[in-house]
Amino acid sequence: MSEKNYRLVRTLLLIFLGLWTVLTLFPIYFKAITAFKSPAETNSTIPSFWPKEWHPENFVSVFAESSNFQSLVDSFVIASGNTLLSLFLGTLAGYAFARFPKQAGGENLAFWILSNRMFPPVAVLIPMFFLFDATPWGTDSRISLIILYLVFNMPLATWLMMVFFRDAPRELEEAAYLDGWTPLQAFMRITLPLVLPGMISVSMLCWIFAWNEYLFANLFVGTDVKTYTIVIPTFTHGSQTLWNLQMAFSLMAMLPPVALFILLRRYMVRGLSLGVVKG
Amino acid sequence: MRGVSDMTATSSEISQTESGPKANSIDRDDPATFPDWFRARKARSNLIVARWVPIVLVGLPVLVLFGIVVYPTIWMFYHSVHDTNMMRLFQGNWSYIGFENFATVLGSDRFWDSTVHLLQYLSFGACLQVVLGTVLALILFELVKNNALRTLILILLVLPMMMSPSIVGVLWKFLLTPSNGAVNQALLNLGLISKHIEWFNSGISLWSIIVADIWNWTALPLLIVYSGRVSLPPAVYEAAKVDGASGWQVMRRITLPMLKEVIAIAFILRFTDAFKFVDLVYIMTSGGPAQSSELPTYIAFQRGIREFAIGEAAAYAIIIFAISAVIITLFLKYLKRVLKAQGIA
Repeated sequence: MSEKNYRLVRTLLLIFLGLWTVLTLFPIYFKAITAFKSPAETNSTIPSFWPKEWHPENFVSVFAESSNFQSLVDSFVIASGNTLLSLFLGTLAGYAFARFPKQAGGENLAFWILSNRMFPPVAVLIPMFFLFDATPWGTDSRISLIILYLVFNMPLATWLMMVFFRDAPRELEEAAYLDGWTPLQAFMRITLPLVLPGMISVSMLCWIFAWNEYLFANLFVGTDVKTYTIVIPTFTHGSQTLWNLQMAFSLMAMLPPVALFILLRRYMVRGLSLGVVKG
Repeated sequence: MRGVSDMTATSSEISQTESGPKANSIDRDDPATFPDWFRARKARSNLIVARWVPIVLVGLPVLVLFGIVVYPTIWMFYHSVHDTNMMRLFQGNWSYIGFENFATVLGSDRFWDSTVHLLQYLSFGACLQVVLGTVLALILFELVKNNALRTLILILLVLPMMMSPSIVGVLWKFLLTPSNGAVNQALLNLGLISKHIEWFNSGISLWSIIVADIWNWTALPLLIVYSGRVSLPPAVYEAAKVDGASGWQVMRRITLPMLKEVIAIAFILRFTDAFKFVDLVYIMTSGGPAQSSELPTYIAFQRGIREFAIGEAAAYAIIIFAISAVIITLFLKYLKRVLKAQGIA
């Protein structure tokens, strides 16, 4: 390829990248300015791409409805509870798979656990709906979602912790045994600190997945407990959708995952690719 | 593939080579099968620990999975051959009807239409996302030379992925509002269309969902391929430069072959996720208008949890389950090979 052609191709590719970036950002930009508009402006026949007047008070008045704030609390409790449970079970099993592969049931068992993350939840959710209905707490409770989210988060945590434990050098643990430490001591004082960065990234991933989950919540909860994800589609006043409040609320709700991603993106890539790519 | 994994030997490899001949019949009580390093300490209690603790540690999550995945799946299989509905379920008097539910499902246009929708979504949603993500990631890495700018663009491009499907669905429903939506207005301003496009009409609504999903998830392959490219060894590229290879040759002969596995993993992740996909259908169209944007999963949930035709929903679920079981088994086989080659599993 001649130098001139090379330059042309290069420029075209860069334009494509730039165009894609603009297309990716446009919805976010429009969402952000809508959050500052008045209700009349959001419903005007010709949408404006810059607010005529700014209403930053939207971000406060959205909480006039106390259930909106409560939904963030519910989401936080559910996501955190599920993350702790997934991380606890996943760390222990991941350790067993990494250090005692044969005794723990071999790689086929590990792959089976992972496969649970990939299966469509349709065969799980419908029976669980009727199963939880028969329990004292019912489907519409925090505990039901904390348990259900284990379906996708616990296999992920187990698998990733296995990968992280395998990365942690075995020799240190071995030396501890020779010094007369018990397996538990060696695990708590040597191996666990070594995989701490891994545990943090796994818990952040699990937390984001649980925080953002919509489908399970939509089918299971809605009256006593509401996650923010099922509150967002219901911002209406009479027949009008309150787009400005909706956008203000969802902007705030997406801040935690975005912040976590910016801070921890290197670690997250490892988790998102099931351990294949080292970020 | 140094960057992907520079582990040498894993514990499984070591113990496998050790017990090579009797690898097929392992006596798990035999201390000789314990990992080499663990036998360093001979105390009898430690051997008991090595025998039983792993079983307990793995047993906990396996038990949980039996409760929340295996049991429900068996329940689904059972009810797919019964005439269960809400009333019969609570009275406990459902009866066996053979494969009638499957016949109903497979004989209905609704099922086949939704299958076509799923195929459209898989090809344009999932596959296109992987192609786009790969191309964008490589452009970003190879052609943007400023490090800070590169990181900034990467973060901006990944923002949509950090949003909940409910945020994405509502946002796109808002943007695509036919009468006064931002997308129609922007297209009008740019002179690309002369009258409003009805984004949620029959025949178009599925494409609206696919557009929103591409916007949401192209970032995943992009992020994975980009990180895979970052960790490729620079030495190879220096050698190619010395040999005078052109940019395109380097891309085709070195970069793409070395990223093959990473791209495949990204594809597998997107494909299996796409099989589960249903959130945006709920938020943006509720399957409509006139069932023109339904996916099989959506129908299963509607029939099962909203309309309580449990037997029929179970038949849907089993069909989806069977197809995904085949696909996931194939994927896992491939994943196993990739991970083995890199010493991760």
